[in-house]
Amino acid sequence: MDKLTDYRYTMKSCNSCGQCRFILGPMMKGWEYAEICPIHLRYRWDACSGQGLINIAQELLDGELDYEDGLIEHIYTCTTCGACDINCKSVRDMEVMDTILALRARCVEDGRGPLPPHQEQARYIEAHHNIFGEPHEERSDWLQEGIKLSEKADVAYFAGCATAYKHPDIARNTVRILNAGGLDFQVLHDEYCCGAPLWRTGQVEAARKLAEHNTEVFRENGIRTVVTACAECYGTFRGFYPRIAPPDFEVVHISEVVQRMLRADRLKLKGKLDIKVTYHDPCLLGRLSEPYVPWHGEIKSFGYHEPPKTWRRGTHGVYESPREVLKAIPGLELVEMTRHAENAFCCGGGGGVPAAFPDFALWTAAERLDEAKSTGANAVVSACPWCESAFQNAIDADKSTLQYHDFTGLVVRALEL
Amino acid sequence: MEKVMSLPKEVYQALLKVVGPENIADRPHILAALRHTNPQSGRQPPSPAAVIMPGSVEEVREIVRICNRHGVRYNAVVSMFGMGGVVSQPGMLVISLRRMNRIIEINEFDRYAVIEPAVRQVQLKAEVFKRGLTYPTASAGPSCSVLANFLTSGDHHTQQSSSRCSRYLLGYEWVTPTGEIVRVGSLAHGAGWFCPDGPGPSLRGLVRGYGGWGGGLGIVTRIAIGLDDWKGPRVLTTQGHSPDYKIPFPPDCHRVFIFKFPTLEKVRDAMTEMGKAEIGQAVLKFFYATEAVLFTVSANDFRDLWNSGLYQRELPRALWVYLAAWTPEELAYEERVMRDIVEEFGGEPVDASITRKYEENMDFFILVSFLQRVLKLGGGWSPTKLGADSIHHMFEVAAAIPEFFYDFIEKGRILDAPHNFQVIPMEYGHAAHIELLFFFDNQRPDWQQIPAEVMQKSMESDIRHGFHAATPPRVKAVMERLGPLYSNFQVWTNKIKETFDPNNVSNPGPG
Repeated sequence: MDKLTDYRYTMKSCNSCGQCRFILGPMMKGWEYAEICPIHLRYRWDACSGQGLINIAQELLDGELDYEDGLIEHIYTCTTCGACDINCKSVRDMEVMDTILALRARCVEDGRGPLPPHQEQARYIEAHHNIFGEPHEERSDWLQEGIKLSEKADVAYFAGCATAYKHPDIARNTVRILNAGGLDFQVLHDEYCCGAPLWRTGQVEAARKLAEHNTEVFRENGIRTVVTACAECYGTFRGFYPRIAPPDFEVVHISEVVQRMLRADRLKLKGKLDIKVTYHDPCLLGRLSEPYVPWHGEIKSFGYHEPPKTWRRGTHGVYESPREVLKAIPGLELVEMTRHAENAFCCGGGGGVPAAFPDFALWTAAERLDEAKSTGANAVVSACPWCESAFQNAIDADKSTLQYHDFTGLVVRALEL
Repeated sequence: MEKVMSLPKEVYQALLKVVGPENIADRPHILAALRHTNPQSGRQPPSPAAVIMPGSVEEVREIVRICNRHGVRYNAVVSMFGMGGVVSQPGMLVISLRRMNRIIEINEFDRYAVIEPAVRQVQLKAEVFKRGLTYPTASAGPSCSVLANFLTSGDHHTQQSSSRCSRYLLGYEWVTPTGEIVRVGSLAHGAGWFCPDGPGPSLRGLVRGYGGWGGGLGIVTRIAIGLDDWKGPRVLTTQGHSPDYKIPFPPDCHRVFIFKFPTLEKVRDAMTEMGKAEIGQAVLKFFYATEAVLFTVSANDFRDLWNSGLYQRELPRALWVYLAAWTPEELAYEERVMRDIVEEFGGEPVDASITRKYEENMDFFILVSFLQRVLKLGGGWSPTKLGADSIHHMFEVAAAIPEFFYDFIEKGRILDAPHNFQVIPMEYGHAAHIELLFFFDNQRPDWQQIPAEVMQKSMESDIRHGFHAATPPRVKAVMERLGPLYSNFQVWTNKIKETFDPNNVSNPGPG
């Protein structure tokens, strides 16, 4: 596992250029919605940004900064949305997000982090294998009669904690879509939390155990492909699991599955939905979803990486699949927000922020909904149960007329299932 | 790092009353982002004592008055890009203007825009494009402050057809170093923002600063800038995903050409003739290594391209021309004139793969959206010269660069790119700007000394030859040495500083 010291080059190379706070120049369409970092937009300090957090990491590493009052809270205010990372990496060879995650891991290693709500989540996961402390034996309660499962299939549907316990409709819709498309799959009753809540809060050793467990369950059941409708699970399988061991399974998001089925004429979207929507790219399905490729080497003169490194710059996130499917739904009009694809503004639902800083999470979601409204859409669509919670909380708080739809819900309606 | 000096408690409390507790901080972890060693300068800057974020000109005035009352030295900042350190002395107050980020007005009829300090280049650019207008956009990248670049020289790629940013500064609102609000130009007479100078001498030079320590006097809180017609699309159509964006323009009215010439003198003469003919939205002799850095994604890609030798063969003596026109006929006319001039001076097109990069990324000329790529070789990058004079003089300066530059190259301290300078004419050749960029390797043990040493040698070359090639920073020792080349300007700037800033609290420099 990477250590904070592995990111010395990033810390040393930062020129405070500010790119980690703004959406990329070519994508900016005006004065509004120009900023990309939730903590900087809210608090404005330089310390509240990718740049600031790597400066803090460097001072902690060098012993120039102590664990003073407020520091841990400061480090954990970040939603780990990775917007800083992708924007920086559009112009630089730096690892901003991984430095922030390594900083959190260092706080945990030093016995200073994470915050009490994250520790509580870790205890729940330890005892019940899910973040909410719900009984593990109820994890598959969402499964209804009439769903066709194939015990010998090498494809598994992985629901994830948030879907299984808080948004069971997403799970039900997902398996109905898979059945409609004729895909044989299993539901693994011994799936554990994917590890995202622990990884993103620096509790990497606990996250490692979950990764090892799930990988072993996949192996035991002969699983070659894991389908999920949760962006956090998707991004964790691709971004975290390869840090533990080379994965021997493929991960596919439900939007990719539907796209393939539509192209192969295995599904037909016939139901007309008269709705104008805008699509919100979840961070771990979009810019942070590229597979992690370990790199061990030397950084030579003028930043030359020997051997060459595979960078995750957000180029190949899952951007087109959900859009292609949504556009194929009769009557549905899709409009884009200024900040979209790799430049999407976070919903506030990640990085342990909702548990530790619910007001800030709400503020972040409200900022995103404001942008969604500016498009003239009457609904925002996304493809992640965590985004759904974040947006629904903000809609309820604001008594907004804007609606939220999960991707799977719209597809099921269009399939007339 | 030295121990952080704190502000006296009563001063902190007085400042807190002005902005509220959410907008002032002195905790070390908040200050960590303001004392980072910037790889551009290599210097470990001192830590500020506190940072404060005013939200209005009145708050700025109150803060400045408190600073004067208690002898607290301050520096105002927005983006911090390119700064050698946010403060020059320990114990200073950083006045961050991030909250003051509004576009106050875009007046399409009288063609000006009024903005606050934290409006970014790309924000304003996108808004004025929508109205068919544009403005000179300093080649400092999309997220730098518009206001800061209009208060300095603000050189940019299209100044052939316009001028330096500073020439477009109109009325402005200024908090003097002692805390008085002054409105300058037509604004002083309640006549609006349209004119920079009222009756009497121009005051624009008073606030003109230089990046970083020792910059301008006081704090400018609002400016108006002049706007020009924009011949390009009102909304930029961006294709692709990070980092492979493409922004093409309609080719019937927007074309890019790059020609190589047998000598630098021929480049100079072709540039001069294009100015006389008043053609070209942009005409420039650009940096060849910087171009290779800008148009590659990673440091590894850059090394592969640079080692191929293509740019060294094609671009050391080249001229970049961007033609923009209202109609295809107008473009055809300019192209014919350009080709006549190129032929006269023996120019020929460079490898098409190089020109194609520009055609796909036309934002290079109007925004330099990916400017921060110059930092990707580890952040070790610095500009020097940055002065202006006639086109001919700028090429004389360029010819003398090898005198001091090769020594650094031969010792492996900087990238082997002896022709990495640019000359950009302004106002169709009325004057020109020169800039020499060098890349140094921050993996070397002596890297922190390199930028200052190159700048020192560059300045000595200018003094030896009597060149007008440097923009002198407000650092006393440097001003004293360069002053004789510029009519001893430092005598006057020192007097102005003493008059307007008797307590020497406004961005005082390293002392």
